[in-house]
Order: sequence, then structure tokens, then C-alpha cells
Amino acid sequence: MSSQITLTSSDGIDISVDRVVAERSVLIKNMLEDLGDSGEAIPIPNVNEAVLKKVIEWCEHHKNDPQSASDDDDNRRKTTDIEEWDQKFMQVDQEMLFEIILAANYLDIKALLDVGCKTVANMIKGKSPEEIRKTFNIQNDFTPEEEDQIRRENEWAEE
Amino acid sequence: MESTAKSSPVVTGSTTRDREDGTKSDAKQTPRDASDALAELAKQNVAPFLAKYHPRQYAPLRSEDGTTSVPRTVNAGYCYRHQPDSKCSRQADEQSMHQLQRELETLPQDDQQGIAHVWSLFSAAPAKQRKLMLQGILAQCCFPQLSFISASVRELIRIDFLSALPPELSFKILRYLDTASLCRAAQVSHRWKALADDDVVWHRMCEQHIRRKCNKCGWGLPLLDRKRLREAKREIELRATNWGNQPSNNIPDGAPNGTCSVVELPTSGKRKLDVDDQGCAMIKRHCISPAYKPEPDDEYFKTRYRPWKDVYRDRFVVGMNWKHRRCSVKVFRGHTDSVMCLQFEDNILMTGSYDATVKIWDMETGEELRTLRGHTAGVRCLQFDDTKLITGSLDRTIKVWNWRTGECVSTLPGHSEAVIALHFDDTLLASASVDRTVKIWNFADKSAFVLPHPEGVNAVKIDTASRTVLTACDDGAARLWDLDTKTCIRVFHNHIGAVQQVIPLPREIELESHLADCETDHISTSSQNGDAVNILSPILEHRTLSAPPSSFGASFDQDQDRLEPPRYIMTSGVDATIRLWETNTGRCLRTFFGHLEGIWALSADTLRIASGGMDRMVKIWDPRIPTCQDTYEGHSAAVNCIGLSDSRFITGGDDYHVRMYDFRA
Repeated sequence: MSSQITLTSSDGIDISVDRVVAERSVLIKNMLEDLGDSGEAIPIPNVNEAVLKKVIEWCEHHKNDPQSASDDDDNRRKTTDIEEWDQKFMQVDQEMLFEIILAANYLDIKALLDVGCKTVANMIKGKSPEEIRKTFNIQNDFTPEEEDQIRRENEWAEE
Repeated sequence: MESTAKSSPVVTGSTTRDREDGTKSDAKQTPRDASDALAELAKQNVAPFLAKYHPRQYAPLRSEDGTTSVPRTVNAGYCYRHQPDSKCSRQADEQSMHQLQRELETLPQDDQQGIAHVWSLFSAAPAKQRKLMLQGILAQCCFPQLSFISASVRELIRIDFLSALPPELSFKILRYLDTASLCRAAQVSHRWKALADDDVVWHRMCEQHIRRKCNKCGWGLPLLDRKRLREAKREIELRATNWGNQPSNNIPDGAPNGTCSVVELPTSGKRKLDVDDQGCAMIKRHCISPAYKPEPDDEYFKTRYRPWKDVYRDRFVVGMNWKHRRCSVKVFRGHTDSVMCLQFEDNILMTGSYDATVKIWDMETGEELRTLRGHTAGVRCLQFDDTKLITGSLDRTIKVWNWRTGECVSTLPGHSEAVIALHFDDTLLASASVDRTVKIWNFADKSAFVLPHPEGVNAVKIDTASRTVLTACDDGAARLWDLDTKTCIRVFHNHIGAVQQVIPLPREIELESHLADCETDHISTSSQNGDAVNILSPILEHRTLSAPPSSFGASFDQDQDRLEPPRYIMTSGVDATIRLWETNTGRCLRTFFGHLEGIWALSADTLRIASGGMDRMVKIWDPRIPTCQDTYEGHSAAVNCIGLSDSRFITGGDDYHVRMYDFRA
């Protein structure tokens, strides 16, 4: 069993990575288990080089973490607290954050997906609807009447 | 343009670039010639470039003047911002393109043409070529321009995550939000509203409040909704995974009619509670069929029962009302002596008084529906269910009534002194008396037996699941009895003076994490470690063969169906304290101080404890928190009895009044 494997990004760049690091991805782990390690590069057709490198950086840092907790645990810990290193890691532009979330979902890296989704949730938290629109460049497609009605429907939560 | 002065082409392999540089230096010398040259260049070079790439690429400039129809086929080369069906970001682009166009028009004709060519070239180019072009431009930029780019880019890279991500990921994000943020998210756009209002999100929000009070918002889900919550689980899971896989006309991502069909969802589903049963039935049907597939029509997405957001909202509002003491108070007047006992269910309230009557009230209207007469002395205790009412009196008898007709069905003699408390469940009735006994009556086989106490007994509570009974005695102890062996299996001794009330806490209550800081002065030093383990160990409701023997005795180990007694109980006494006990160890875990005089009344559910007493006050407690949460005053004399539900409490006092505090919206 070789300790290094090669991943090929969607834009055709080969990236060499420790097998334990790459196996943070359940998709890659399963592929290696199913197909055996032939030494050939594994194509990652949905993730480009920049994003893949970023994802590997995360896996590298978290390679010694215990394997992710079950969904039930997640139920309990609804908190959006993010550990400091992950917070810094997620200080990227929205495009990169978007791509990281998609890549984590595709590669099946639950902990990274959680951190990505929490990061977006934290960008929404505590903002007014208008501030949310501004943050994500969203057009307000409500008529003023609709907007007023929906505001009244949701007033109960404003304590 | 001024950057040309210090330009040093980085991109060496590109013929286009070289020529452009050439023409630019020409342009400085003779503008007229330059424009001709540009036009020429366009013919020779730009046009073929455009022809080569344009048909395959989306070009904001072209679509704007309406000359080209954007190809609708999905092209893997599109980035997020330029997917033809991402309506929002495209509009933003068009807006800024309009503005640029206007600015462009202020420039001389030939400048316009030149800039337009650069833009067309860029917009026609595939990703790889674009990157190269940008690298070339960046390499020529001086700092003020780079700073401009850096600021603009920060503004430009804004993605509508919830609309662009697959719905299951959008739901995942929304699940991390708190109530207020979710409600604000629902006000952002049609798409956000459809996602943030969805049952997938609010079912989960409700789930987090089962069985426990949320520390943030202070409420829990009442029993009625819990059943429905469990039953809906599978449907909700299906819903979450199928949300995005529906035919496109269900999803408002740019399809012409999509927006409307989804937005109708939450409102069209708003119906009254009475369709709940119907909703449950449908859910069940879905659960039975493993091959269930959602019908492709809109029907699947219509909420056929009360939306979970509404369920959540109602409970949230009630929780907030408790928190902020917003309640309506209704006073029931009619008794002519102290009110000693009460119970309420749905809209029916029954009160028993020293005036020897029981009154039945309509809680909504406050109307006195019926007065039951028959006891020859004060009524001290009562309990009713669907069909019967049982009362205990100072006249030493217990009476069974058909409360719907008002008829007294039977009178049970059996105590030699006043009957102070009673409790029935299933076929067993327990009655407590000043005559120092608790009598257990079995309705099924007409048998009865007595549990002797050293002094008068003030309270009694049967627990059918464990076949045990709790009693509170004037001798200062509460006791737990095994009904099978008819023996006392625990004594809870710590009150100074008579214990007035004893109640079990609901089995599902979770206190473990909150009791880490509980009193330690009652723990015997030798078993401190063992006790700490006991506190944290999960309750073993159904013991398995390998489980350790029950601390309550061998008779609990022989019957697999017999549960352990309730894990926690609470007592109140004339010493003005309320105590929380662990039945397993008999330890007093916490003492609640706050009342000034004896506590006659005590009631609890999973969310809170209510107490009332001599000092005329009603106090609300959280079993997890040692300090009193709230105090309500209103009675002009002692509070004798209290009833509690998730949205109200009712008290009866020595002032002959019954007061209802209602926290519903």
C-alpha cells in the first residue's frame, strides 16, 4: 500500500497527496477500497485545481481527527461554533466557499461540509432581510405588499 | 490606456496581444488612423475570434441588445454566475453592463469601438483564454488599478448560496439558524421564503424541543405534537431528499411559473388543527409503503396538515409569554369556603372546596357548569378522567361520580379520619388519610390493602408502570412503596416538619447535565464516586438480563415489563422548601428556597415546576436552576392547590377564589 496517491483535478492538474489525507474523503476512500490502489491517478472531475488544493489543505490539518460523529450527534449540537483554524481557513471569497461546499459534498467529507454550511449560516445570522440580500447579492422579488405581509407573518420571532 | 507607457507584454505566445499593442502605440500618434486600423483589425482578427467562440459562449453584451438568443443547453464551461438559469446574478450583470454602456457613450467614437472590441473579445473567449487575458491585464496594472480591482471583486463575488446550492445543502445551512434568523431569511426572496419556511426546516426545529426546554427560547413541545412529530419524520426525510428532484416547474429557479407554485406552499397549507388527524393518517400511509414515490404533480408539495412552522410559532409565543410574564388572568368565583383541590383538562376545570361542593367550570367562558353536592364536609382532594370523578373529603369518605350527569355513583367508606389526598390510575386508587394510612383500592378485583404510616398522610401518587406509590407524611418523610410486596423501599428524609406534597417528575425529563453543580452536602463521603456515576448513567427503563440487579429490590428484576420507579421526585413541606430527590439513591439533589411559609401546592411537567403556599405566592421554578424563575401574587390568602399545563396554571386559595393564568397568545 503506497502512502502517496495522485488526484487529477477537473482542469487536468495532477496533485500528489498522502493516502491518509485523501481518505478524509469517503468517496476517495471507497474508491481506493473498491478498486485497489493501482498507482494510477484518480480523476476528480467536479473539482478544479484551486479548490482541490484548498480541500486537501483542510484534510491535511484534520487528518488525525476522529472520524466524524453520526447525524444524531449533529442534531444535538446545533451550534454554529467553528474552531479557530477552520474559521481562518474559511476566510475566502464567496466563490471559493461555494466551491468548497460543493466539493465537500461531492467528495463526501462531512466535517468540511458542516464547517462550510456553518460558515454560510453565520453570514446569515443576525442580519436583516435587506442585509442578507446585500451580503449575497439577491434581488428582492417581492412586491411591496407581499413584503409587508411576509414581514408581519414573521414578526412573532422578533423578541 | 496610460498603462501602455510602462507596458511590457508578459504574454508572449499570443499573436492577438502583440498586434493590439502595436495598434495602441499607433493610436497615440494619429487617432483617425487608429480607428481605421481598429476597424481593420476587427475584420481581420476579432471577428474570426468571435465567430470561433461565440456560439458556444454566453456573452452579456450580446444578450443585452437582444441580437442573440442564449443557448439553453447546459454547458459544463459555464461558471456559477453565468449559468443562463441563474436569474439573479444575470440581472446584476445586465445592470452594470447598462451603466458601463452609458459611460462608454461619453467617450469619442473610436475609443468606444476599441473598448467594445476588447470586451467582445473577452466575452467570447473560453475560460482558459479569459484567464490568460486577465493575467496579462493584471500584469500591466499599477497599484491604484489593482486596488480598484480588489475592491470591485469583493463586491462582485456574492453568491446566492441558498438558490445556487442543491436544496438538501440549503436545508443543511438553514438548520444551523436560530428562530429569528430563519424568519428573517424567509423575507429575503421568493426562493428563500420557500426554503426557509419549509417543513423540512421547521420539523427539525420542533424536534429539537421534544422533551426538554430549549435554553435559548425557553419552551418545549407539548405531548400532543410529539406524536405527530415522530409520525412525520419519514415524510420529512423524503421531502428533504426529493425537494430538488421534482420537475422543474416546482422549483422557482427561473422557470416561468416556478416561483408561484412553490410560494403558495406555506399559505395554502394553513389549516385548522382539526385536520391534524387526517394529516397523520396520510403520513402513516406513506410510511407503510416502502416503494413510495412522490407524485410528480404539485400535490406532493402542498402541506396537507398544519405547517410545522405554525406549530413552532404557537409554542414559541407561549414560551416567550411565560418568559416575559405576559398572561391573562381569569378569576372563578363561586365557592363559599377555601378551595382545596383542582384539576383541569382541555376546557374543563373542577374545583373542590371546604364548602363541601365540587364545581365544574368552562375554562373559556368562566361559566359554572355544575355543582356536585353530597359530601357532608369539606372536599380535600379530587381527580377526574373522561367518565368519572373521584373525591375525598373531611367526612372520611371517598365518592365516585359520573361528572357528566352529576350523579354520585358510589361512596367508599374505609378511612377512620379525613381523606386528604387521592390518586387513581388504570384500575388502582390510592387514598391518603389523617388516620395514618394509605389505602390501595383495586377496582378490578374489588380488593384493598393498607400501607401504614407513623403519622397522617398528606399526598399520594401511583406510578402504574413501576407498580409503586409515593406518599408524603406528617413525620417529615416521603416514601416510595412497592405495591407488589406492599413494603416501603425508599425513605426520603430531609424536610423539617410535615411533607405536604410529593410528585414524580416526568420520566423523559433530562436533568443530568444541569445537576453537575448540585448540592453535595447530603452525599455520604464514602460513596461519592459511585454516586457521581449514578447521576450520569442513563436510565435503564427496560432492564436486560445482563443488567445489574435493581436497587429497588428483587421484585423489579423478575418482571421484564416492570419499569423502575420515576428517576426524580419532588417534595414540598411546611419548612418552606421544595426538594428534588433521586429515587435510585434516595439522595436529595437540590433544595429550592424562596417561599416564606409552608408550601401546600406543587405541580410539575417537563418544562417547569409551580408551587404555592401559605405566603399567598405562586412561584415558578426550573428543576435545572436552583433559583426561583418567577413569582405571581394575586390571592389574598394562602394558595392551597395548583394545576399546571404547558400554557397555563390555575390556583385555588383560602380566599375562596380560583385564579387562572393563561399564557396562550
